[in-house]
Amino acid sequence: MTSLIRDPLLWILLVVLVAAVFAVMRARRTNLALRRTRKDLEANLGQTQGQLAQQQAHITALNARHQGDLADVRADAESSTKAVLKSAMGTLQSLAEEQQLLLDELLKKYGNDTEVLADLMSVDHTGSQFSRRAKGISVLCGGWLGRRDGAATVYDVARSAQGRIKDFNRVGIHAQVSVFVSTKAVEPVAVVLAELLDNATTYSAPGTPVEVNIQAVPTGVCFIVDDAGLGMDQETKDRAAALLSPEGAVDITSLGDPPRFGFAVCGMLAARYGFAVSVGSVSPYGGVRAVIRVPESLLTAEAPAPAEPVRETSGEEAAPQRLAPVPVGPSHVVGRTNGGLPKRRRRQGAISVVPSPDAPATAEEPTPEQASEVTASRLGAFARGTQLGRITNTMEGPDQR
Amino acid sequence: MTAPGQEESVSSDFVRSYVITGGRSLPSSDDLALHTLVTLAPERTPPLGAGPEVTAIWDLCAGGYLSVAEVAGHLGLPVGVARLLLTDLSEQGHLLHRAEPPRAQNVDRETLKKVLHGLQSLIS
Repeated sequence: MTSLIRDPLLWILLVVLVAAVFAVMRARRTNLALRRTRKDLEANLGQTQGQLAQQQAHITALNARHQGDLADVRADAESSTKAVLKSAMGTLQSLAEEQQLLLDELLKKYGNDTEVLADLMSVDHTGSQFSRRAKGISVLCGGWLGRRDGAATVYDVARSAQGRIKDFNRVGIHAQVSVFVSTKAVEPVAVVLAELLDNATTYSAPGTPVEVNIQAVPTGVCFIVDDAGLGMDQETKDRAAALLSPEGAVDITSLGDPPRFGFAVCGMLAARYGFAVSVGSVSPYGGVRAVIRVPESLLTAEAPAPAEPVRETSGEEAAPQRLAPVPVGPSHVVGRTNGGLPKRRRRQGAISVVPSPDAPATAEEPTPEQASEVTASRLGAFARGTQLGRITNTMEGPDQR
Repeated sequence: MTAPGQEESVSSDFVRSYVITGGRSLPSSDDLALHTLVTLAPERTPPLGAGPEVTAIWDLCAGGYLSVAEVAGHLGLPVGVARLLLTDLSEQGHLLHRAEPPRAQNVDRETLKKVLHGLQSLIS
């Protein structure tokens, strides 16, 4: 036993054992501490992940709100731009209309002066193009075109449209029908046709013809515009088709720079007034064929009687002017021609081209006191007539062609 | 926003005069003066594809002589534009024209009275 106690090996063993126990105890403590830390960390992680998810949801919500706001702002900007443009274009439209009325007067006033008339016509031509542009932009911004006072023949609608483009003398119009476009559709159809003619003349070589054929179809009337250009590629066709059948308001900022309003204007007006425009097919000349189909509901067979112009003077004041009969008076009108102009009965004999200013009123029955005066004036007129006849006979030359 | 019913009325000439002339240069006023009288030549038929203006001139001039100014007035066109259309018709041989007749001279009142009395004594 003693020998055992004295054995150093035993002591060494004991020391090692104590050290091992101590080490195990320590390791266990450390392990526990680590476990605790891990648990804490895991809890923290969960919390953070929750917070993260919360933040992400928040961000998504904010993003959605931002997009919504942005769309609202865009729509607001678009609508306020449109409102401003509409009002500005309205002013320009009124001014253009005023200018055209003024030119109507001036053209008649200086009608006998060939040079002035030609110059006024070129001013008028520029004014008409200006007016068309203003009308187009106005329509895209929700504005209106202005209403004509009466129905117009399809031929006149086409000619009016022709007058609104630059190269109007390249356009030929062939009307196979003679119907009237109803009052409310006159201006929109003319504007749309003008836009199509503008496209046709712009995208075809100068000097090539652009034909407008107006034909009756079972559902109405078609204005067919054929050009001899290069046609359209598929992208342009798709763009045109989208603009010609719009599903809502057109975004005016998406029309390019410089903006191409034409098809958008056509689409807007067609949708608003209920006619159809298509540009998909190929013309006989290899260019584009554009067709406007105006339905029966926007056509009338006969022009309604135009409203009586408001007389500025009273009936009594206006009456004396009627005493000298005008060769063609309203009484001679027996109907209306296909072109909408008054049809007049063929008169028998020559018309008095120099009406006597003091000719008695035929409508009044002369009283016995006036009878001799009336006879005298009639004989006076007779004498003047014979004299006039004699002078004319001696002085006039042979009829010329 | 203007409602469709309140749309402003547009009353300028629908078909502009340069479209009616087709952008051609206008004839000088020497050919057909303002007071020159025109009428339809006998036994003529309207040209094929005549526009509304030509048809209207046809109707107006069918019954006798009318002055160029009157034709323009009835058509509601500037005189120069009416003159171009009339010149066309004239060149195609559809129209006859002649100078305006001179104005009637005022006859001496005394002479008229004598004629009147003479006639009255014949009648009664």
